[in-house]
Amino acid sequence: MADSPDFDSLVADYYRPLYQFAVTLTRDEADACDLTQQTFYIWASKGHQLREKSKVKTWLFTTLHREFLGSRRRQNRFPHFEVESIATELPTVPPPTVNQLDSGHLLAALAQLDELYQAPVTLFYLQDYSYNEIAEILEVPVGTVKSRLARGIGRLHDLLTAINPKPPNT
Amino acid sequence: MNRDEAKEILLPYRQGTNDADDPQVAGALMFAKNDPELGRWLEEHCARQDVLRGKFRQIPVPDGLMQQIISEHAAAKRAGFFKKNRALVALAGAMVVLLAAFFYWQQQPREDATLADYQSQMSLMMSTGYGMDLATNDDSSIRNFLRQKNAPSDFVLTGPLKQATLTGCAVETWQDKKVSLVCFHTGSTGDAASSDTWLFVVKRKVVRDAPDGDTPQISHVNRLTLATWTVGDKLYLLGRVGNEADVKKYL
Repeated sequence: MADSPDFDSLVADYYRPLYQFAVTLTRDEADACDLTQQTFYIWASKGHQLREKSKVKTWLFTTLHREFLGSRRRQNRFPHFEVESIATELPTVPPPTVNQLDSGHLLAALAQLDELYQAPVTLFYLQDYSYNEIAEILEVPVGTVKSRLARGIGRLHDLLTAINPKPPNT
Repeated sequence: MNRDEAKEILLPYRQGTNDADDPQVAGALMFAKNDPELGRWLEEHCARQDVLRGKFRQIPVPDGLMQQIISEHAAAKRAGFFKKNRALVALAGAMVVLLAAFFYWQQQPREDATLADYQSQMSLMMSTGYGMDLATNDDSSIRNFLRQKNAPSDFVLTGPLKQATLTGCAVETWQDKKVSLVCFHTGSTGDAASSDTWLFVVKRKVVRDAPDGDTPQISHVNRLTLATWTVGDKLYLLGRVGNEADVKKYL
Protein backbone atom coordinates (compact mmCIF):
# COMPACT_ATOMS: atom_id res chain seq x y z
CA MET A 1 0.00 0.00 0.00
CA ALA A 2 1.75 3.12 -1.20
CA ASP A 3 0.22 5.58 1.24
CA SER A 4 0.18 3.28 4.22
CA PRO A 5 -0.74 5.16 7.39
CA ASP A 6 1.97 5.85 9.89
CA PHE A 7 2.06 3.11 12.53
CA ASP A 8 1.90 5.47 15.50
CA SER A 9 -1.08 7.35 14.03
CA LEU A 10 -2.84 4.10 13.31
CA VAL A 11 -2.39 2.96 16.91
CA ALA A 12 -3.58 6.33 18.21
CA ASP A 13 -6.71 6.14 16.05
CA TYR A 14 -7.77 2.56 16.72
CA TYR A 15 -6.25 1.14 19.88
CA ARG A 16 -9.22 2.20 22.03
CA PRO A 17 -12.06 0.59 20.02
CA LEU A 18 -9.90 -2.45 19.32
CA TYR A 19 -9.18 -2.93 23.00
CA GLN A 20 -12.87 -2.40 23.85
CA PHE A 21 -13.78 -5.05 21.30
CA ALA A 22 -11.06 -7.36 22.61
CA VAL A 23 -12.11 -7.06 26.24
CA THR A 24 -15.68 -8.01 25.42
CA LEU A 25 -14.35 -11.11 23.69
CA THR A 26 -11.69 -12.18 26.17
CA ARG A 27 -13.32 -10.84 29.36
CA ASP A 28 -9.83 -10.28 30.65
CA GLU A 29 -7.90 -7.03 30.62
CA ALA A 30 -4.46 -8.56 30.12
CA ASP A 31 -5.67 -10.88 27.36
CA ALA A 32 -7.39 -7.94 25.68
CA CYS A 33 -4.18 -5.89 25.81
CA ASP A 34 -2.25 -8.81 24.30
CA LEU A 35 -4.84 -9.29 21.60
CA THR A 36 -4.83 -5.59 20.72
CA GLN A 37 -1.04 -5.52 20.60
CA GLN A 38 -0.94 -8.69 18.52
CA THR A 39 -3.33 -7.11 16.03
CA PHE A 40 -1.02 -4.14 15.52
CA TYR A 41 1.95 -6.48 15.35
CA ILE A 42 0.28 -8.33 12.48
CA TRP A 43 -0.52 -5.03 10.83
CA ALA A 44 3.14 -4.05 11.03
CA SER A 45 4.20 -7.23 9.25
CA LYS A 46 1.32 -7.77 6.83
CA GLY A 47 -0.54 -4.47 6.62
CA HIS A 48 1.34 -3.47 3.49
CA GLN A 49 -0.57 -6.18 1.62
CA LEU A 50 -3.81 -4.26 2.08
CA ARG A 51 -4.57 -2.40 -1.14
CA GLU A 52 -7.51 -0.27 -0.03
CA LYS A 53 -6.60 2.30 2.56
CA SER A 54 -10.27 2.76 3.49
CA LYS A 55 -10.36 -0.85 4.68
CA VAL A 56 -7.73 -0.42 7.39
CA LYS A 57 -10.22 -0.24 10.22
CA THR A 58 -12.19 -3.26 9.04
CA TRP A 59 -8.92 -5.12 8.47
CA LEU A 60 -7.84 -4.44 12.06
CA PHE A 61 -11.13 -5.65 13.55
CA THR A 62 -11.17 -8.71 11.30
CA THR A 63 -7.62 -9.55 12.29
CA LEU A 64 -8.33 -9.12 15.98
CA HIS A 65 -11.36 -11.37 15.74
CA ARG A 66 -9.42 -14.02 13.80
CA GLU A 67 -6.66 -13.93 16.37
CA PHE A 68 -9.18 -14.31 19.16
CA LEU A 69 -10.79 -17.31 17.45
CA GLY A 70 -7.37 -18.77 16.78
CA SER A 71 -6.34 -18.45 20.39
CA ARG A 72 -9.61 -19.98 21.54
CA ARG A 73 -9.15 -22.87 19.13
CA ARG A 74 -5.66 -23.42 20.48
CA GLN A 75 -7.07 -23.51 23.96
CA ASN A 76 -9.67 -25.96 22.67
CA ARG A 77 -12.32 -24.28 24.72
CA PHE A 78 -14.44 -22.67 22.06
CA PRO A 79 -17.98 -23.90 22.41
CA HIS A 80 -20.35 -24.17 19.50
CA PHE A 81 -23.81 -22.68 19.64
CA GLU A 82 -26.71 -23.00 17.29
CA VAL A 83 -28.73 -19.89 16.64
CA GLU A 84 -32.16 -20.37 18.05
CA SER A 85 -35.25 -18.74 16.74
CA ILE A 86 -36.08 -15.35 18.16
CA ALA A 87 -38.43 -15.38 21.07
CA THR A 88 -41.57 -13.53 20.28
CA GLU A 89 -41.70 -12.00 23.71
CA LEU A 90 -39.31 -9.12 23.36
CA PRO A 91 -37.54 -7.48 26.29
CA THR A 92 -38.30 -3.98 27.36
CA VAL A 93 -35.57 -2.23 29.29
CA PRO A 94 -36.51 1.30 30.21
CA PRO A 95 -33.83 3.88 29.28
CA PRO A 96 -33.40 5.15 32.85
CA THR A 97 -32.29 1.68 33.95
CA VAL A 98 -29.79 1.50 31.13
CA ASN A 99 -28.54 4.95 32.04
CA GLN A 100 -27.60 3.77 35.54
CA LEU A 101 -25.36 1.05 34.21
CA ASP A 102 -21.63 1.46 34.24
CA SER A 103 -19.13 -0.32 32.03
CA GLY A 104 -18.66 -3.01 34.69
CA HIS A 105 -22.33 -3.93 34.51
CA LEU A 106 -22.18 -3.87 30.75
CA LEU A 107 -19.16 -6.17 30.60
CA ALA A 108 -20.76 -8.49 33.16
CA ALA A 109 -23.88 -8.73 31.03
CA LEU A 110 -21.84 -9.27 27.87
CA ALA A 111 -19.90 -12.02 29.61
CA GLN A 112 -23.16 -13.88 30.10
CA LEU A 113 -24.06 -13.63 26.44
CA ASP A 114 -23.37 -16.65 24.31
CA GLU A 115 -19.96 -16.15 22.74
CA LEU A 116 -21.51 -16.35 19.32
CA TYR A 117 -23.36 -13.09 19.92
CA GLN A 118 -20.70 -11.13 21.75
CA ALA A 119 -18.67 -10.05 18.73
CA PRO A 120 -21.53 -8.90 16.51
CA VAL A 121 -23.27 -7.10 19.38
CA THR A 122 -20.07 -5.33 20.42
CA LEU A 123 -19.25 -4.25 16.86
CA PHE A 124 -22.84 -3.13 16.44
CA TYR A 125 -22.76 -0.79 19.43
CA LEU A 126 -19.09 0.11 19.56
CA GLN A 127 -18.35 1.14 16.02
CA ASP A 128 -21.70 1.64 14.30
CA TYR A 129 -20.62 -0.88 11.71
CA SER A 130 -23.21 -1.76 9.10
CA TYR A 131 -24.55 -5.30 8.91
CA ASN A 132 -22.40 -5.89 5.84
CA GLU A 133 -19.26 -4.63 7.56
CA ILE A 134 -19.92 -6.80 10.61
CA ALA A 135 -20.43 -9.74 8.26
CA GLU A 136 -17.11 -8.96 6.60
CA ILE A 137 -15.25 -8.69 9.89
CA LEU A 138 -16.72 -11.86 11.34
CA GLU A 139 -16.57 -13.63 7.97
CA VAL A 140 -20.16 -14.84 8.12
CA PRO A 141 -23.18 -14.16 5.86
CA VAL A 142 -25.17 -10.94 6.40
CA GLY A 143 -28.28 -12.94 7.26
CA THR A 144 -26.39 -14.67 10.03
CA VAL A 145 -25.23 -11.32 11.36
CA LYS A 146 -28.77 -10.00 11.47
CA SER A 147 -30.13 -13.01 13.29
CA ARG A 148 -27.24 -13.03 15.74
CA LEU A 149 -27.70 -9.33 16.36
CA ALA A 150 -31.40 -9.67 16.99
CA ARG A 151 -30.84 -12.57 19.30
CA GLY A 152 -27.84 -11.05 21.03
CA ILE A 153 -29.40 -7.62 21.54
CA GLY A 154 -32.56 -9.16 22.88
CA ARG A 155 -30.60 -11.31 25.29
CA LEU A 156 -28.39 -8.39 26.35
CA HIS A 157 -31.43 -6.30 27.18
CA ASP A 158 -32.74 -9.20 29.26
CA LEU A 159 -29.50 -9.44 31.15
CA LEU A 160 -29.28 -5.70 31.74
CA THR A 161 -32.80 -5.72 33.11
CA ALA A 162 -31.83 -8.49 35.48
CA ILE A 163 -28.77 -6.57 36.73
CA ASN A 164 -31.02 -3.62 37.66
CA PRO A 165 -28.39 -1.42 39.37
CA LYS A 166 -29.33 0.78 42.26
CA PRO A 167 -30.00 4.38 41.46
CA PRO A 168 -26.97 6.55 42.22
CA ASN A 169 -28.77 8.62 44.91
CA THR A 170 -29.87 5.71 47.11
CA MET B 1 -45.51 -8.55 8.40
CA ASN B 2 -47.04 -8.43 11.86
CA ARG B 3 -45.99 -6.40 14.89
CA ASP B 4 -43.80 -9.09 16.45
CA GLU B 5 -42.00 -9.71 13.19
CA ALA B 6 -41.43 -5.98 12.80
CA LYS B 7 -40.03 -5.76 16.34
CA GLU B 8 -37.70 -8.63 15.65
CA ILE B 9 -36.40 -6.89 12.55
CA LEU B 10 -36.07 -3.57 14.34
CA LEU B 11 -34.12 -4.89 17.31
CA PRO B 12 -30.79 -4.34 15.53
CA TYR B 13 -31.83 -0.91 14.26
CA ARG B 14 -29.87 2.24 15.12
CA GLN B 15 -31.03 5.73 14.32
CA GLY B 16 -28.55 7.86 12.44
CA THR B 17 -26.89 4.94 10.68
CA ASN B 18 -27.51 3.34 7.32
CA ASP B 19 -29.45 0.48 8.93
CA ALA B 20 -32.62 1.82 7.26
CA ASP B 21 -31.05 1.07 3.87
CA ASP B 22 -31.73 -2.59 4.53
CA PRO B 23 -35.05 -3.42 2.77
CA GLN B 24 -36.34 -5.49 5.69
CA VAL B 25 -35.59 -2.72 8.17
CA ALA B 26 -37.11 -0.12 5.85
CA GLY B 27 -40.25 -2.22 5.64
CA ALA B 28 -40.44 -2.61 9.40
CA LEU B 29 -39.96 1.12 9.89
CA MET B 30 -42.81 1.79 7.50
CA PHE B 31 -44.94 -0.64 9.46
CA ALA B 32 -44.06 1.19 12.72
CA LYS B 33 -45.17 4.49 11.23
CA ASN B 34 -48.64 3.12 10.82
CA ASP B 35 -48.78 1.24 14.13
CA PRO B 36 -48.86 3.64 17.12
CA GLU B 37 -48.00 0.91 19.67
CA LEU B 38 -45.04 -0.30 17.64
CA GLY B 39 -44.07 3.34 17.07
CA ARG B 40 -43.88 3.97 20.82
CA TRP B 41 -41.88 0.80 21.33
CA LEU B 42 -39.49 1.85 18.57
CA GLU B 43 -39.01 5.28 20.11
CA GLU B 44 -38.09 3.77 23.48
CA HIS B 45 -35.95 1.15 21.83
CA CYS B 46 -33.97 3.77 19.89
CA ALA B 47 -33.40 5.73 23.10
CA ARG B 48 -32.03 2.59 24.76
CA GLN B 49 -29.86 1.84 21.78
CA ASP B 50 -28.34 5.32 21.93
CA VAL B 51 -27.58 4.94 25.62
CA LEU B 52 -26.06 1.53 25.10
CA ARG B 53 -23.88 2.77 22.25
CA GLY B 54 -22.55 5.41 24.63
CA LYS B 55 -21.93 2.83 27.34
CA PHE B 56 -19.94 0.59 25.03
CA ARG B 57 -17.69 3.47 24.10
CA GLN B 58 -17.09 4.19 27.77
CA ILE B 59 -15.51 0.79 28.41
CA PRO B 60 -12.27 1.84 30.09
CA VAL B 61 -8.98 1.31 28.30
CA PRO B 62 -5.81 0.74 30.38
CA ASP B 63 -3.53 3.75 30.68
CA GLY B 64 -0.35 3.40 28.74
CA LEU B 65 -1.63 0.77 26.30
CA MET B 66 -0.96 2.99 23.30
CA GLN B 67 2.57 3.81 24.46
CA GLN B 68 3.21 0.13 25.16
CA ILE B 69 2.12 -0.90 21.68
CA ILE B 70 4.21 1.80 20.03
CA SER B 71 7.32 1.23 22.11
CA GLU B 72 7.22 -2.56 21.73
CA HIS B 73 6.75 -2.14 18.00
CA ALA B 74 9.80 0.12 17.87
CA ALA B 75 11.82 -2.42 19.86
CA ALA B 76 10.64 -5.28 17.64
CA LYS B 77 11.53 -3.23 14.57
CA ARG B 78 15.07 -2.69 15.83
CA ALA B 79 15.44 -6.35 16.75
CA GLY B 80 13.93 -7.32 13.39
CA PHE B 81 16.41 -5.17 11.54
CA PHE B 82 19.35 -6.91 13.18
CA LYS B 83 17.74 -10.30 12.70
CA LYS B 84 16.90 -9.74 9.04
CA ASN B 85 20.20 -8.13 8.28
CA ARG B 86 22.38 -10.46 10.29
CA ALA B 87 24.79 -10.87 7.38
CA LEU B 88 24.91 -7.13 6.82
CA VAL B 89 25.51 -6.45 10.50
CA ALA B 90 28.24 -9.09 10.59
CA LEU B 91 29.83 -7.59 7.50
CA ALA B 92 29.67 -4.10 9.01
CA GLY B 93 31.23 -5.46 12.20
CA ALA B 94 33.98 -7.13 10.22
CA MET B 95 34.58 -3.89 8.33
CA VAL B 96 34.90 -1.99 11.58
CA VAL B 97 37.39 -4.53 12.90
CA LEU B 98 39.35 -4.44 9.66
CA LEU B 99 39.39 -0.65 9.60
CA ALA B 100 40.50 -0.54 13.22
CA ALA B 101 43.23 -3.06 12.45
CA PHE B 102 44.28 -1.06 9.39
CA PHE B 103 44.49 2.18 11.33
CA TYR B 104 46.37 0.44 14.13
CA TRP B 105 48.78 -1.00 11.60
CA GLN B 106 49.15 2.44 10.01
CA GLN B 107 50.09 3.88 13.35
CA GLN B 108 52.75 1.25 13.94
CA PRO B 109 56.31 2.02 12.83
CA ARG B 110 57.43 -0.02 9.86
CA GLU B 111 60.14 -2.65 10.15
CA ASP B 112 62.77 -0.47 8.54
CA ALA B 113 61.76 2.65 10.47
CA THR B 114 64.81 2.48 12.70
CA LEU B 115 66.58 5.28 14.48
CA ALA B 116 69.77 4.56 12.53
CA ASP B 117 67.95 4.97 9.23
CA TYR B 118 66.28 8.14 10.43
CA GLN B 119 69.60 9.61 11.54
CA SER B 120 71.22 8.58 8.25
CA GLN B 121 68.48 10.12 6.10
CA MET B 122 68.40 13.36 8.07
CA SER B 123 72.19 13.60 7.95
CA LEU B 124 72.09 13.16 4.20
CA MET B 125 69.60 16.00 4.00
CA MET B 126 71.84 18.26 6.09
CA SER B 127 74.88 17.40 3.94
CA THR B 128 73.42 17.47 0.46
CA GLY B 129 70.85 20.19 0.88
CA TYR B 130 67.15 20.67 1.09
CA GLY B 131 64.61 23.22 -0.04
CA MET B 132 63.74 25.81 2.55
CA ASP B 133 59.95 26.12 2.53
CA LEU B 134 59.83 29.25 4.64
CA ALA B 135 62.72 31.64 5.23
CA THR B 136 62.13 33.65 8.38
CA ASN B 137 63.62 34.29 11.77
CA ASP B 138 60.22 34.45 13.43
CA ASP B 139 59.40 31.49 15.66
CA SER B 140 55.59 32.02 15.45
CA SER B 141 55.64 32.14 11.66
CA ILE B 142 57.57 28.89 11.56
CA ARG B 143 55.17 27.13 13.92
CA ASN B 144 52.11 28.42 12.04
CA PHE B 145 53.55 27.26 8.76
CA LEU B 146 54.32 23.81 10.10
CA ARG B 147 50.87 23.55 11.67
CA GLN B 148 49.23 24.37 8.38
CA LYS B 149 51.26 21.62 6.75
CA ASN B 150 50.23 19.15 9.46
CA ALA B 151 53.84 18.73 10.49
CA PRO B 152 54.94 18.75 14.17
CA SER B 153 54.73 22.36 15.30
CA ASP B 154 54.43 22.23 19.07
CA PHE B 155 58.05 21.26 19.63
CA VAL B 156 60.06 22.48 22.61
CA LEU B 157 63.34 24.26 21.95
CA THR B 158 66.22 23.95 24.35
CA GLY B 159 67.35 27.13 26.09
CA PRO B 160 70.37 27.70 23.85
CA LEU B 161 68.35 27.07 20.71
CA LYS B 162 65.84 29.67 21.81
CA GLN B 163 68.69 32.14 21.78
CA ALA B 164 69.95 31.07 18.37
CA THR B 165 68.85 32.88 15.24
CA LEU B 166 66.22 31.11 13.22
CA THR B 167 66.60 31.04 9.46
CA GLY B 168 63.48 29.17 8.43
CA CYS B 169 61.87 25.78 8.16
CA ALA B 170 60.90 22.99 5.81
CA VAL B 171 58.57 20.02 5.86
CA GLU B 172 60.23 16.75 4.91
CA THR B 173 58.94 13.18 4.88
CA TRP B 174 60.40 9.99 6.19
CA GLN B 175 58.59 6.65 6.04
CA ASP B 176 55.57 8.60 4.73
CA LYS B 177 55.47 10.63 7.93
CA LYS B 178 56.01 14.35 8.12
CA VAL B 179 59.19 15.67 9.69
CA SER B 180 59.58 19.32 10.70
CA LEU B 181 62.98 20.79 9.92
CA VAL B 182 63.85 23.97 11.82
CA CYS B 183 67.02 25.76 10.72
CA PHE B 184 69.31 27.99 12.75
CA HIS B 185 72.29 30.26 12.18
CA THR B 186 74.71 30.13 15.08
CA GLY B 187 77.59 32.02 13.52
CA SER B 188 79.79 29.17 12.41
CA THR B 189 79.53 30.52 8.87
CA GLY B 190 79.93 34.09 7.73
CA ASP B 191 76.63 34.40 5.88
CA ALA B 192 73.99 35.37 8.47
CA ALA B 193 71.24 33.98 6.28
CA SER B 194 72.82 30.56 5.93
CA SER B 195 71.93 27.71 8.24
CA ASP B 196 74.49 25.76 10.20
CA THR B 197 72.40 23.93 12.79
CA TRP B 198 69.34 21.87 12.11
CA LEU B 199 66.63 20.49 14.34
CA PHE B 200 64.44 17.67 13.05
CA VAL B 201 61.19 16.92 14.88
CA VAL B 202 59.03 13.87 14.22
CA LYS B 203 56.44 11.91 16.17
CA ARG B 204 58.20 9.54 18.50
CA LYS B 205 56.11 6.51 17.58
CA VAL B 206 57.20 6.75 13.96
CA VAL B 207 60.67 5.49 14.88
CA ARG B 208 60.69 1.92 16.13
CA ASP B 209 63.65 2.23 18.47
CA ALA B 210 63.36 5.87 19.47
CA PRO B 211 65.42 6.48 22.62
CA ASP B 212 63.60 6.81 25.91
CA GLY B 213 63.97 9.95 27.95
CA ASP B 214 65.22 13.42 27.35
CA THR B 215 68.94 12.67 27.77
CA PRO B 216 70.49 13.28 24.35
CA GLN B 217 72.36 10.44 22.68
CA ILE B 218 75.35 11.63 20.73
CA SER B 219 76.32 10.03 17.44
CA HIS B 220 78.35 10.90 14.36
CA VAL B 221 77.65 10.63 10.67
CA ASN B 222 80.57 11.76 8.56
CA ARG B 223 81.35 15.35 9.60
CA LEU B 224 78.10 15.82 11.38
CA THR B 225 77.50 15.32 15.05
CA LEU B 226 73.97 14.42 16.06
CA ALA B 227 72.10 14.61 19.35
CA THR B 228 68.92 12.58 19.61
CA TRP B 229 66.39 12.68 22.45
CA THR B 230 62.68 12.46 23.12
CA VAL B 231 60.33 14.74 24.99
CA GLY B 232 56.67 13.85 25.25
CA ASP B 233 55.47 12.36 21.99
CA LYS B 234 58.24 13.94 19.90
CA LEU B 235 61.64 12.71 18.78
CA TYR B 236 64.24 15.47 18.38
CA LEU B 237 67.36 15.24 16.31
CA LEU B 238 69.82 18.13 16.38
CA GLY B 239 72.72 18.15 13.95
CA ARG B 240 75.60 20.42 13.01
CA VAL B 241 79.08 20.19 11.65
CA GLY B 242 81.53 19.91 14.46
CA ASN B 243 82.40 17.83 17.45
CA GLU B 244 80.34 16.68 20.40
CA ALA B 245 81.09 19.80 22.39
CA ASP B 246 79.82 21.97 19.55
CA VAL B 247 76.49 20.19 19.62
CA LYS B 248 76.18 20.07 23.37
CA LYS B 249 76.36 23.86 23.50
CA TYR B 250 72.84 23.90 22.06
CA LEU B 251 71.30 21.27 24.28
